[in-house]
Amino acid sequence: MHRSRRSVRPAARLLVLILGLSLVVSACGSGGSDGSSSGSSDGSSGEIFISGSSTVEPISVRVQELFNDINPDVLIAVDGPGTGDGFVLFCSGETDISNASRAIRDSEAEECASNGVDYVELQVGIDGLGVMTNASNDLVECVSFADLYALTGPEATGYRSWADANAVSAELGGAGDLPDAPLDIFGPGEESGTFDTFVELVVEHPAEERGQAGTTRPDYSPSGDDNVILQGITGSDTSLGWVGFAFANGAQGVKLLDVDGGESGCVAATPETIASGEYPLSRPLFVYVNSNRAASNPGLEAYVDFYMDAGLDRAVAEVGYVELTDAAKAEVRAAWTERT
Amino acid sequence: METPDSVPGSLSLAALAGSPRRVRKERLISRVMFCAALVSVVVSALIIYALFSEAWIFMRDVDWSSTWGELGWFPRRGIYDMPTLLVASLWTTLIAMIVAAPLGMGAAIYLSEYARPTDRAILKPILEILAGIPSVVLGFFALLWLAPNVVAHIGGEGGRGSMLTAGIGVGILTVPLVASISEDAMAAVPKSLREASAGLGARNAVTTVRVVLPAAVSGLVASLIVAVSRALGETMVVFMAGGAADAAIRTYSPYDGSLTMPSAMASLASGTDQVVGEGLTFQSLFFVGLVLFLLTLGLNLVGDRFVNRVREQY
Amino acid sequence: MTFSTIGTVARRGANGFERKRTDVAGGLFKAVILSALVVSLLVLAVLLIDTVADAWSQLSTRTWDFLNGSLRSRSIDDKLGVKQGLYGSFWIGVFVALTAFPIGVGAAIYLEEYANKSRLAAVIELVIRNLAGVPSVVYGLLGLFLFVERSTIFGFVGLGWLADATGGRSVLSAGLTLAVLVLPIVIITAQEAVRSVPSGLKEGAYGLGATKSEMVRTQILPYAAPGILTGTLLAMSRAIGEAAPLILVGAITGGLTRNPELWDTSGLREKFTALPIIIVEWVSERGRDPGFSEAAAAAIVVLLVLVLLLNMTAILLRNRFEKKRG
Repeated sequence: MHRSRRSVRPAARLLVLILGLSLVVSACGSGGSDGSSSGSSDGSSGEIFISGSSTVEPISVRVQELFNDINPDVLIAVDGPGTGDGFVLFCSGETDISNASRAIRDSEAEECASNGVDYVELQVGIDGLGVMTNASNDLVECVSFADLYALTGPEATGYRSWADANAVSAELGGAGDLPDAPLDIFGPGEESGTFDTFVELVVEHPAEERGQAGTTRPDYSPSGDDNVILQGITGSDTSLGWVGFAFANGAQGVKLLDVDGGESGCVAATPETIASGEYPLSRPLFVYVNSNRAASNPGLEAYVDFYMDAGLDRAVAEVGYVELTDAAKAEVRAAWTERT
Repeated sequence: METPDSVPGSLSLAALAGSPRRVRKERLISRVMFCAALVSVVVSALIIYALFSEAWIFMRDVDWSSTWGELGWFPRRGIYDMPTLLVASLWTTLIAMIVAAPLGMGAAIYLSEYARPTDRAILKPILEILAGIPSVVLGFFALLWLAPNVVAHIGGEGGRGSMLTAGIGVGILTVPLVASISEDAMAAVPKSLREASAGLGARNAVTTVRVVLPAAVSGLVASLIVAVSRALGETMVVFMAGGAADAAIRTYSPYDGSLTMPSAMASLASGTDQVVGEGLTFQSLFFVGLVLFLLTLGLNLVGDRFVNRVREQY
Repeated sequence: MTFSTIGTVARRGANGFERKRTDVAGGLFKAVILSALVVSLLVLAVLLIDTVADAWSQLSTRTWDFLNGSLRSRSIDDKLGVKQGLYGSFWIGVFVALTAFPIGVGAAIYLEEYANKSRLAAVIELVIRNLAGVPSVVYGLLGLFLFVERSTIFGFVGLGWLADATGGRSVLSAGLTLAVLVLPIVIITAQEAVRSVPSGLKEGAYGLGATKSEMVRTQILPYAAPGILTGTLLAMSRAIGEAAPLILVGAITGGLTRNPELWDTSGLREKFTALPIIIVEWVSERGRDPGFSEAAAAAIVVLLVLVLLLNMTAILLRNRFEKKRG
């Protein structure tokens, strides 16, 4: 007993010390102590908070990295909860920049206006989707939006052959000439921005009109890893799948399908057709900048200046998205420099 | 007190109470301790208030037909099909128990009835290490190892998460919990029962199955109830390996991906691009939280009762 | 009759009942039971080996850079690493120790020594036991409500000052939320430690004229210290492994310029991230950039080292004192 009491001593002393110290702090109120130095910013101290789309997030992070290499003193935080959540924060004045994978909605713009948040809309790049099949599959060359919805939408649950989708496709104005061949579908999982893009462009609209859930059929093989999707597509002769265009372009063993958006016929996916907007399976990527903040925060202004420069020319491609055309870049840069 | 002060040399009660300063100090210290104990009550009250205040708005404003008999859980489109979440919660919990109950109880029986003290001294800490592994680690393990190496061989998909994958992951997470409560229950069975059984000629296995396990049964039941409650509330494993994010179609097959109550909450909080900004999305987070809170609270209360029964028995 | 059966009969005759016979059912039972334990241990082994194997490409070549790096957009980046996560997790541990520890120990001492088995104490005990079973994601909602949103209670008790004090989505908010989460663990383990103090020690102190608080300070705290510290270490390890509450409190997932040194307190009220959040983020980023799986595994190894160090210290501490006291 005696010996063990002795060996307890140091531990006990430490305990009493911490106890005494912190009982003072916590007493009855508990918690709300504020001992740390105040570092709060009102947007003018060179701090930038960016939120919004998780699809655009990597671009803004890449720009942040390149920018901080030159300007390490501007403190930037980039988050990616989603386009809509981002606009909620942006229009209540919590963020300086909102990343968005679609244009701002009217209701969101009204919210911004009612809180006195003025903004500049800047398109920074394009997210294109490559729809693919096995390289040896010569039964299909081109799919229409109607075909894609019929093949992958909620109504396609259980379809084992491409031809199963013909009826629905025809109802939507498609050709209805899909071949009778086994249908194995591979695509990104729901957590992915590429999945969101696909749903938004292909599934959401017809699903709503037809009273269906606005998401894909559940019975396909999703993967978070694009390589696994490509393996799936190369492993099945008449497979169907989609990944981000940058990843699909030039991949071995797969064939990129042309896509018919209903306006200009079948369009092949190339960087040029995506950049020009001809290829229908693509969506613009935006950043929205709070212009009052940009005026009062030189760090924010410098960051967006940099975004318009190395961001458009370098970061967009580096993280796997399609760059704007030179003409479009010039237009965006003009929109930024001539903001009011 | 009416102590006769006049008697010299006698001990007064007032003197026994000590100096007023000392008394005041004592009272202050006891009050501070009391406040510390009250913090838990305040925290509980705040949890209940926070859940109710937001969930109430949801319950008042929601179109209740959208919480039942819909296609699935699409909170950002105003479709809050609770059965989707409940079915997924049931599946993952059931699968977790199929994994955790035999493993956890088996380990507990071995440790309590068979292992030599020297083995116990090594084995128990290892189980405790398993108990200390954060759930994000098991989420990673379930998605990137269990799915391709285990789930793919029992009819599931290897390249993605599913309720089956997540369920096995949650099960592994709860093995140490089941083992530890079960072992406590068996340790509480008096040695005399075992000795009496052995004295009657029963073999070790017979003693364990016929004597120790029946005597410890309420503790074993408690371990399962507490584990079910833990599995229902597990978030990250299902969030990472459950095969769905943000929204889920109602499905009854464990091979599909879906959202449980807590993983739906985490998905809502972390968001995706499909936000439509439906009015009650934020409140639905608290509504699901409230349902989850009440379910686990009920289970814990029942589990507690079983644990107490063991304590009272011996 | 074979030789061995004769032996068996002979022994049976000698002892009146069977002693040693090949016990097939019993052996099978033991094998099944043992396999349950073995499977559990195997799972642990596979988990550790697989994770370390995945992490190897990051950890073997650039351990130091990885520990000092920050959130990046690409997995091949030289500056990719977990320092910002370490910062967040470290301070979460500190806040847990600074708040949950004193409040928890105070509550435990009140319940064991001051409350005198009152009805109120029984209610508090019940509340604590139930708090221990509340899912962590629900604590996240509490943290969101209390420390991040500028909430009011019943429309008149404003909590805006709390959000102002914590800086909203900050390490401070996260640390306090997790402190609340582990408080029941600290209280319950501390109660057990306090209960284990022999009554002779307490009576001895009273006999020498000590007041209650003096008795607590001189007898209970020293004797219960190892048990209390064990519980606190376990609580800290639980806290730094939690991710769900941090998602709700709003840890940063994308990019963060701020990369302060561990002891730099100027970042406590600023945007933050933590190790478990980095792991979740990188697991989801691997779709765009598969190299992030290895980065996530490496971050897991770092987290596991921290968590297991805390756990093993706690277990060793407890075993050492258990043995000493017999």
